[in-house]
Amino acid sequence: MLRPDLPERRDLVAFAPYVAAAAVYIAIGITWIDFLLSFWVALGYLLVTVWLLPLALRRLR
Amino acid sequence: MSWAAHDLEPYAFQRHLNLKVAFVPLLIGSYAPDMMSKWFVYGIHLGPWELKADNPAQFHRGWPGVGFTHSFIFGAVIALILWKGFGSKLWGISFLIGHWAHALTDTGDTVGTMLLFPWTQHFHVDAWAYAGQTGRLTDAAAYFSGLGGMWDLVWIVYGFFSWRVLTTAYFDNVIYRADAFWPWLNRWVPRGALLTAYRVAFFYGTSRWIAWTLWAHVIHHYPYDLTWGGPHWVPAAHP
Repeated sequence: MLRPDLPERRDLVAFAPYVAAAAVYIAIGITWIDFLLSFWVALGYLLVTVWLLPLALRRLR
Repeated sequence: MSWAAHDLEPYAFQRHLNLKVAFVPLLIGSYAPDMMSKWFVYGIHLGPWELKADNPAQFHRGWPGVGFTHSFIFGAVIALILWKGFGSKLWGISFLIGHWAHALTDTGDTVGTMLLFPWTQHFHVDAWAYAGQTGRLTDAAAYFSGLGGMWDLVWIVYGFFSWRVLTTAYFDNVIYRADAFWPWLNRWVPRGALLTAYRVAFFYGTSRWIAWTLWAHVIHHYPYDLTWGGPHWVPAAHP
């Protein structure tokens, strides 16, 4: 029988920061529409929120 | 024109082509046709001056204009330069796939693309209205009220269906290994940042689709019109 290829818990854990970052990005974007217009803004935003910030917090602990 | 499909299509191709393509030129190819022209379609203000094409649809997709950037031959020439000029067949082929996907996707609107330039015939399916001439905000409202927005949604759903291409294991075993660009960049940029950067177009396309949809339909209440060629409340441009 065909079974759907569903993500496991660790995949969802890796996905969660992106969902949180997307929620904030969308909220900023619909408030200030210019925020949505640039790929480079999205790249900078994602690097800061999903990579740099967690890295900094881990170092501070 | 399409708003999020060009961000998401590369991940779908990546799913099927694995090590046969390099993701960065695939994405650049997908963005390339609009890279230099979109700002002039919508116009920008520089102090008291507004720089904007007199006929945005003609400029963007036509000839005279920069419509040749949406043709097969333009993609092939750049691919050939990457292959023969810079010695990377992989980058050339990957760019070509991304570029042709963009050119074909944009045939979905009412202006279409000159796929076989220098033959200036526009190929257009007329599924959604081309409204670039109305300005960025009205264009966005129209796009996300018609079948164009639904076409983007197809790619988002397919992207989630292909979720494995976004995993760390896939990045390490396929994306990173397929293209020497990543190890080169890894000399200065940590692996974690590269992984995040690889995922950004998917994040950008999906988040932007949700944000524009909320902006158009929750904040501004533009009406949906999912009929062929719609939305018909906006004046659609034609070749």
